Amino acid sequence: MTEPLVTLSGVVKRFGDFTAVHRLDLEIGAGEFMAIMGPSGCGKTTTLRMIAGLDVPTEGEVRIGGRLMNEVPVHERDTPMVWQSLALFPFLNARENVEFGLRMRGVGAHERRRRAVEWLERLEIGAFAERNIDTLSGGQRQRVALARSLVTEPQILLLDEPLSALDAHLVIRMQGVLTRLQRELGITFVYVTHSQSEAFAMADRIAIMSEGRIEQIGQPREIYRTPASRFVAEFVGRNNILSGTSRGDAIETALGTFPTAGLPATGAPATLVVAADLVRIGRTPSDGAVPCTLISEEFVGATVTLFLEAVDGTELKVQIPERTLGELNAHAGGSFYLSWPADAGHVLAES
Amino acid sequence: MQVRARAVNRFALAFRLPVIVWQGLFFLGPLFFMIAMSFFLVKNYRMEEAFELKNWARMLTRGYVWDSYWYTFGVAGLATLAATLIAFPAAFALAFRVSEAVRRWAIFLLIIPFFTSYLVRTFSWYVILAESGVINAGFGTVGLGPYTLLNTPIGTVVGYLTLTLPLVVILQTVALANIDRNLVQAARNLGCPPRRTLFAVIVPLAKAGLIIAALFCFILSFGDFVAPYYLGGSKPPTLPILIIDTTKSGQQWPRAAVVAVMMMLTLFAIAATSIWLAYRRRSSA
Repeated sequence: MTEPLVTLSGVVKRFGDFTAVHRLDLEIGAGEFMAIMGPSGCGKTTTLRMIAGLDVPTEGEVRIGGRLMNEVPVHERDTPMVWQSLALFPFLNARENVEFGLRMRGVGAHERRRRAVEWLERLEIGAFAERNIDTLSGGQRQRVALARSLVTEPQILLLDEPLSALDAHLVIRMQGVLTRLQRELGITFVYVTHSQSEAFAMADRIAIMSEGRIEQIGQPREIYRTPASRFVAEFVGRNNILSGTSRGDAIETALGTFPTAGLPATGAPATLVVAADLVRIGRTPSDGAVPCTLISEEFVGATVTLFLEAVDGTELKVQIPERTLGELNAHAGGSFYLSWPADAGHVLAES
Repeated sequence: MQVRARAVNRFALAFRLPVIVWQGLFFLGPLFFMIAMSFFLVKNYRMEEAFELKNWARMLTRGYVWDSYWYTFGVAGLATLAATLIAFPAAFALAFRVSEAVRRWAIFLLIIPFFTSYLVRTFSWYVILAESGVINAGFGTVGLGPYTLLNTPIGTVVGYLTLTLPLVVILQTVALANIDRNLVQAARNLGCPPRRTLFAVIVPLAKAGLIIAALFCFILSFGDFVAPYYLGGSKPPTLPILIIDTTKSGQQWPRAAVVAVMMMLTLFAIAATSIWLAYRRRSSA
């Protein structure tokens, strides 16, 4: 990471008796695309709002560019946000919406118009500059909201689940627009989302939050392959999570004993995580393979997730390419055997 | 299916019929009769059916009618402006500064004045506005006055406000409370200082409700008889007073009808303009 632009240290936010954020530490680098991801109510939006100054931390410090921001009012921060609801002004047309920030900074009418139109054109909606907001499509509004936030050339852009209201095909397109913009502008994006695909597709680093705490911060691949906690393993990707006891170089679980590296001392409790896409499935028994019954399948295009049940009731998941489904002759109730290479297992550091 | 659909239609019609009948009998009917009457003639203190433009020609060429018209328009307009400005800080506080529970209580309390007859509330102003009243007693202690407040345009406006102010506060509060708070925060997030949000976002967002509140104030004031009669001293007479005076002097109901139609047309024009302003869509390419 380059020099941190945003630093949150020991930040706590309470609303009455409810603690939304517990002693949070987070550094976001200049020019970094940081995603904050978690289920609803995990404190991710509150964290974003504290960076913007819309919420004031109960404890701790928020710094931007080294400057302590706790007491700096919202309108003096230059931390524009793209809202989940977009929050476009209905009484202004597209261009006037984009001009708003410039108007607040006292930029002259002519210059304002020039810069607003330039941004609308950059986002390929120049033709809609004079249109009312309510005559624009969801995707076009999204672009107006982006232009409105970026026209003042901020060092940081905050995005609060901006794509959650869009159709699936538009989400993919806007992801492309956002990543391209972020690379071109070289500014910091802080992107709050509950969507794994959005975070993984765009972010340089992801912070996973749960119940007001950061569970893990890392690059997408790192989070995907080496989840730091049971919560992350359950929330991210499709993982099989098996609790057991360390036998030094293998873990003993209800489904059998599996050779694994990185285990704690013999006798200590341990949790094994095996990503569904690393599990092999076959119709014939082999040494150490877990016998299972197929319960259901979930088809999402090129890959299929199979949900199986072991003899003791443990649910196991396997992801395989869709084209191999035929030769497997998979149908609900069928018997299968699951196995995985020793290096596919990841042992959770905790517990 | 056909039978059922017809049954439903009959039910819907039966459901609406009372309103249609009521409005037809007691609003549209009298309205058309009044318009027709403005063309009738009065001979020997008796009204005769006719279709003559004499009443219109006479009333529209009399200076006192136009004086009365513009005076009424002026005091009602002044009351509307005053009500809008006096109500706004209160409505703003109720919408943005207090809890939902306090807001509900305040709206309840604002309805209470309507429990008492407007006439009674108007008379109670005598205690305050009279030359020996509360205000002049106050001025007297610092060696000023007494000032004449009763039987002046000030009295009329005070009376209009007695009628309209609680309603204007309620309508403005509802308009302001329905504003999407995210939009106000978005404005601040884009560099708008808190004070500036008032005219940059809050007023534009509440525009329709604020205009409708002002429209109600104008309509109620323009047609009010009580305030200009008892607090304004009916000099100069407002249009409702002129109507009463005209009917009393020589049974001139047709001429009074002319004034009434003038008032109706004025209010139609004001209401149409207000609603156009309130819900106007901005030009869209």
